Amino acid sequence: MSAASILRLEGVSKSFRGLRAIAEVSFAIEAGSITSIIGPNGAGKSTLFNLVTGYLAPTAGEISFKDRRITGMATNRIAELGVARAFQIARPFRDLTVFENVRIGALFGKAGVRDVEVTVRRSLQLAAIAHLAEQPANTLTVGQLRHLEVARAIATRADLLLADEPCAGLNPTETAAMIDVLRLIRDSGVTVVLVEHDMPSVMEVSDRVLVLDAGALIADGPPHLVASNPQVIAAYLGTPDPSPLPGHSP
Amino acid sequence: MNLVVQTLVDGLVLGGIYALAAVGFSLIFGVLHVINLSHGILVLIGAYLALVCSQAVGVDPLLTMPIVMAVLFVAGYAYQRLLIQRAVDRSPFGSMLLTFGVALMLQNIMIWVFSPDMKNITPSYAFASFRIAGVTFDAVRVSALAASLVLLSCLALLLKFSPLGRVIRATAQQTLAAQLCGVNVRHVYALTFAVSAAFAGAAGIVIGIILPFSPADESLWTLNAFVVVVLGGVGSPAGALLGGLLLGVVNTLTAQYVGPSFPNVTMFLLLVLLLLVRPNGLLGNAFSASR
Amino acid sequence: MNTSSARLPLLILGGALLLALGPLVLPPFYVRVGQLMLYSAGLGVAWAILGGFAGYGSFGHAAFIGVGAFTAGLVENQFPTLAPALLLLLGLAAGAGACAVISALVAYPILRLRGTFFAIAMLGVCHVCAEVNNNVDFFQGSMGINFAPIAPASMDPAVFFYWLYLAASTIVLLIAWAIWRSRFGAGLLSIREDEDTARMLGVPTERYKRQAFVISAVLTGLLGVIYAHALGYITTDSVYRDDTNLSLIVFSLLGGMGTLFGPVIGAFLLVFVTQVILGRLLDFHLFATGLLLVLLVLMAPGGVIGLVRGWRLRRRSEMVPAE
Repeated sequence: MSAASILRLEGVSKSFRGLRAIAEVSFAIEAGSITSIIGPNGAGKSTLFNLVTGYLAPTAGEISFKDRRITGMATNRIAELGVARAFQIARPFRDLTVFENVRIGALFGKAGVRDVEVTVRRSLQLAAIAHLAEQPANTLTVGQLRHLEVARAIATRADLLLADEPCAGLNPTETAAMIDVLRLIRDSGVTVVLVEHDMPSVMEVSDRVLVLDAGALIADGPPHLVASNPQVIAAYLGTPDPSPLPGHSP
Repeated sequence: MNLVVQTLVDGLVLGGIYALAAVGFSLIFGVLHVINLSHGILVLIGAYLALVCSQAVGVDPLLTMPIVMAVLFVAGYAYQRLLIQRAVDRSPFGSMLLTFGVALMLQNIMIWVFSPDMKNITPSYAFASFRIAGVTFDAVRVSALAASLVLLSCLALLLKFSPLGRVIRATAQQTLAAQLCGVNVRHVYALTFAVSAAFAGAAGIVIGIILPFSPADESLWTLNAFVVVVLGGVGSPAGALLGGLLLGVVNTLTAQYVGPSFPNVTMFLLLVLLLLVRPNGLLGNAFSASR
Repeated sequence: MNTSSARLPLLILGGALLLALGPLVLPPFYVRVGQLMLYSAGLGVAWAILGGFAGYGSFGHAAFIGVGAFTAGLVENQFPTLAPALLLLLGLAAGAGACAVISALVAYPILRLRGTFFAIAMLGVCHVCAEVNNNVDFFQGSMGINFAPIAPASMDPAVFFYWLYLAASTIVLLIAWAIWRSRFGAGLLSIREDEDTARMLGVPTERYKRQAFVISAVLTGLLGVIYAHALGYITTDSVYRDDTNLSLIVFSLLGGMGTLFGPVIGAFLLVFVTQVILGRLLDFHLFATGLLLVLLVLMAPGGVIGLVRGWRLRRRSEMVPAE
């Protein structure tokens, strides 16, 4: 394992009432990179995020963050160590303004109480929503809410940002803006892990792609190699049926 | 030994009635996510209506059930549609406070109309009883328990098999999806409330024939319903039955062996214990996905 | 007005000084109403630290009034020779201690519940405390308990307790303000808004909830101790009151849920309406309170502060032409 790995999963499994959502997944994420986790619906991507953030506890295996075992640790403790998450379906504090939302992030997480104002301003800037600071969160558009999620997450001064489909449902302009934001965040020293469906964005932004299918890791590598991996293509398009029914062309 | 059995039997009879009195509360909470603090009042309205009807016509109180249930069905529908739905739309605490306000108003009206004194409905077989293996069964209690079980079964069947039941369950599980399928959610909510009110009224009749009642009892019946729901789980007649029986047995055992002045203490300790072990009640959340 | 402003304590103290002049000019009836207003405002603010800030609205806070009052009484009666001021301090310390212990114990199971479930489970807590208090002879709940008079002989007790309530409620409000603008307060707010997200951002939700619960309980208990002294003689029924349980929610609701001054405004208004306007209509009391609740929920869900804010927003949008 490289010394620069920030997050490490070793043999992590998660079962729900005997149904295996994650099956012995192992990987390490290099610090300062953008990694995308892709896979068909139900492959276990969100479960993986839930495991890393402590929302769920793994059935087996170990998770460590910055060489510290975080398996089964409380969600808020993991956040204090420097893991932040942006939800796909944005969950802003609806009654608060954008600034106040991000301020909660800046007051907690790894951040502590120093330079709160500065941290908030910087996070808003980085997420490109500084102009929305005084707006109530419940007046934002879906795209703006995604940015707010990201801003609030990085305001915790996290070292690792887990972003759950940040581009889902965004139009091309918004998607491009989000990709820029993710790059800026990576360049500011935060390691980014995405779960994403939008393949063009994945190809464009990722340093590395992990492919999950039925809870197992089936491919791992730079985007262009993964995209041409036959196993990956099969997982996405379905295995060609060996005995097609008459009248059904594949 | 006989005392233990007698206590258990009394507890089960009482529990069946608790279950019936709580099932509507449970349904509303499971489907509408509203805590109806006027539930106890609906129960009492049932009892007073039965009292008035049976005295006026001179029939057995259990026979007034169709009228009482029909009246409360209509009243429940209107109550939900005109008041509660508006409160739900306005603020999260709203429905709880509104139902509490209504409970206070109706309690006050009951005091004006019926006086604050204890009343009871006395059917013709009030003092009949029989003994099996040394355990005494009062005719009233047996008929009360039987009525409770029949009504609970009817509701369970209604929810399971009737078109209305299907729509109610669908709305509870996936409100948005049901809406997209053309379900008029507000209408379903109001119907659910109507069914719940009708069963509260029926429970009131059954309570009226075995226990004395007064306007001040309403909070007791609301609180009981709450405990039953926490014990048994939200939204299902089976959960209400289980929770009700458990509460009934615990209450009579406590009254017999600890002292009659501590009903809340054991009830509540049981509640806390259960919440620590099973936060969703014994049968879990029957309808809604747990949050 | 910006409630996180550092000048706010001065404003609060100024207001308190102004109110302190009340007994010098008001007729005795209004001094008693004023007592009740100040007591209620203090209770409302103490309740709101948990119910308004963190969104855990309790329906059983009278439990802590009762626990505080009875503990104070039982402890004080062990020291009949103590000077009045020391007696009160002793009672306050004992009441606060008992409330802290009980709330800390109850917090673990009960804070697992959310929303309305929590609210009604707290009602259960209140009933259990009342029952134990009433039925265990040691606590003297059914017999009642006497409190030695603590007001100086030269002073009208009504005026003395008016000032005592004023001081206590001002302190409660200042504590609430300090919490409101602190990191702790921001954490509580995030819990109210979305507890899961708060935890994901690193807010120690469980610990914060427990702390808010204990602080709220202790402050309620302190006011309960003063209340008991003002009554002079209490039984279970005079302190564990369900109408108090209800009023505490209504104060916040009427004034503005989740705001600092909401419960104060709500308490002043409600006490004024029920004591001064409805005071003579005892038969209608339940009905009027119920009607008020219903109207409040339907017409002003944001309370007085919500109404004012909405009105201000509308005015501002009328003044600024649409972009």
